[in-house]
Amino acid sequence: MTTERLLILHRRTPGWLVPAVVGLALFSLVLAVFLGVVDVPAADVLAALQGHGSHEARSIILDIRLPRIITGILAGVHFALAGLLLQTITRNPLADPSLMGISQGAMLAVSSFLVITVYSHDAGSHTQHALPVQWLPAIATAGGLMAGGLIYTLAFRRDLGPLRITLCGIAVGAVLHAIGIGMIAGWGSARIEVLLEWFSGSLYARSWTHAAFLLPFTVVGLACLPLIRRPLELLRFEAPVAQSFGLAYRRQFSAVLLVACALAASAVGVVGPVMFVGLIVPHLARFLAGRHSGMLLPLTLVLGAMIMTLGDLAGRLAGQAEEIPIGVVLAICGTPVLIALLRRTP
Amino acid sequence: MNPARFGAEAEPPWDAKAAAMTIGLLVTALIVIAGGLMVGAKLLPLRAVMAALVAPDGKIDAILVWTLRLPRSLTAYVAGAGLGVSGYLLQTLTRNPLAGPGLTGVSAGAVVPIVFCFVFLPWISPALHPLVGLVGGLAGAAMTFWIARGGRGRPLHLALGGVSVSMCLGAITTYVLLLSGPQVPSLLFWLSGGFQGRSWPHLTFLVPWVVAGIGGALLCRRAIGLLLLSEQAAAGMGLQLTYWKSLTLVLAVLPVAGVAPVAGPVAFVGLATPHIVRLLRPGGPGWAIIMTAALGGLMTTSADILARSIAVPKEIPVGMITALIGGPVFIHLVQRRGIATGNDR
Repeated sequence: MTTERLLILHRRTPGWLVPAVVGLALFSLVLAVFLGVVDVPAADVLAALQGHGSHEARSIILDIRLPRIITGILAGVHFALAGLLLQTITRNPLADPSLMGISQGAMLAVSSFLVITVYSHDAGSHTQHALPVQWLPAIATAGGLMAGGLIYTLAFRRDLGPLRITLCGIAVGAVLHAIGIGMIAGWGSARIEVLLEWFSGSLYARSWTHAAFLLPFTVVGLACLPLIRRPLELLRFEAPVAQSFGLAYRRQFSAVLLVACALAASAVGVVGPVMFVGLIVPHLARFLAGRHSGMLLPLTLVLGAMIMTLGDLAGRLAGQAEEIPIGVVLAICGTPVLIALLRRTP
Repeated sequence: MNPARFGAEAEPPWDAKAAAMTIGLLVTALIVIAGGLMVGAKLLPLRAVMAALVAPDGKIDAILVWTLRLPRSLTAYVAGAGLGVSGYLLQTLTRNPLAGPGLTGVSAGAVVPIVFCFVFLPWISPALHPLVGLVGGLAGAAMTFWIARGGRGRPLHLALGGVSVSMCLGAITTYVLLLSGPQVPSLLFWLSGGFQGRSWPHLTFLVPWVVAGIGGALLCRRAIGLLLLSEQAAAGMGLQLTYWKSLTLVLAVLPVAGVAPVAGPVAFVGLATPHIVRLLRPGGPGWAIIMTAALGGLMTTSADILARSIAVPKEIPVGMITALIGGPVFIHLVQRRGIATGNDR
């Protein structure tokens, strides 16, 4: 596999890399807490974190910034891990959660849900508040999981190989996307902006309920990691090779796929599809990990969390009152980094 | 180095099954285009269409047929053929089933300046948009070229480079859309690609690019056949990889450079058509290219006719219809045929 060869050829990874990345991640976390559109003095932030301070500072820090940062970190971990798992088992460097129809299924679920609720309840209002936004995460997650399940069943009827699941994913994803777009186009309302913002991925107004929604998925997903670690190393080979090592190929492939889909679907449900983290962060981690393939998994997790935090911070600060969605920020700022890395590697 | 001699075995001299399928596709396309002349906002009986075709008399029927329906269907056909072949070449080059015309960075590059003109410079005439889009598309392609070292680097470089260029430019488009506010729905419609109001000037703009791309691909079919095996095999057969891979990438860019400014990013055709053709098992790369062109054209032109006639007077994005017709066919083929696993396709 080309990816692996690239990884071996790459220069040695210096020993300070991991502490540096972790330190940078913590630093970005601190920055994200202390900086924001509203200038809260550092002393007030500290006081608010300890539960003192003015009411205003407390509500800004504890009810707006912190939940948003935590949601971002959890979603970043989800996307990065799901991308890494999917890229490994399908052996395709271009795989990301949309390969399993997660984003498209979520989008279809959200748009049909909005169309149904808005049409059946208050057809007159054109304000964002009238939309039942609190249901969106659960609906989108369910939609993403259903799309993933459909693709899995279609591929499972034959041999469940990487190529078959990829082709099924392309076809099903395109059909779901088409129906979703059709619904939006047919809806044709001013509220299209709500959907547009969600599709480009946004952490705007995410609260503790969103973080709490993600947390069970994160815990279960991370708890599964030790179990799927060895199968994951074998799944990057062809099925016969992996089976000759004693791997129950179908079962392990399905297990990894399920973990990846659950992580991706919950994150898409809460923040929308942030393609950059799911597709690019695993590659960044591969470049950084170099030949130490053991570092790949932890690096992916830390990078996912850190990039999500930084991207959200940049979006908050750059846009001021009208903030820029995180998906947009990451794609515009992050891709030059990847391009530079691509140009440097042989 | 002449690859023709080395690749002589790569393609059987004449493949009757592939020829029959190609002829079938072309005839179906002719019937569909002819049928498409009748349907639309105003239903025309067959006799009226024939009369208008043979002797255009400047009346409403002749205008409908000659300046609205016929050029539009032909534009859709040519665009679909170009997109399909571009997707085929890119999937060969990157050895990745997820590759498509979007990977060249041309579509995303063409969309950015056009959307920018829509939103910030509305006084620029829409007639200039294809040229603006062409410049942007070629700039996007140049960027991808630079990252992929002219296609000479590893397949991963091209795949990741193309994706990152498209993603970056797509994000810029989204940001412009978010800034634009009230125009979003109409822009979103344009962004899903379509052939509404496309006529002869668009067709003449489009044809040279697509013909150059498909013709070039057909001329290089033996080299492409070797690249399909594996890079090592191709190099072992005496193929100069650096030269032929760059050339293939250029050939993949050409059709999209014509299509993207005219029709916007038409989804699904470029990605799925090569897969469908491969599942039909054509004889060799030459037949695969011809069939991809024929099938891509057929899919796009029938989708376009449906898009303009099922929800009169509204139009439906053509990319949506292509996915809705093509998707189930694709799923059926993936289910039915045994497909090779791994890298060989």
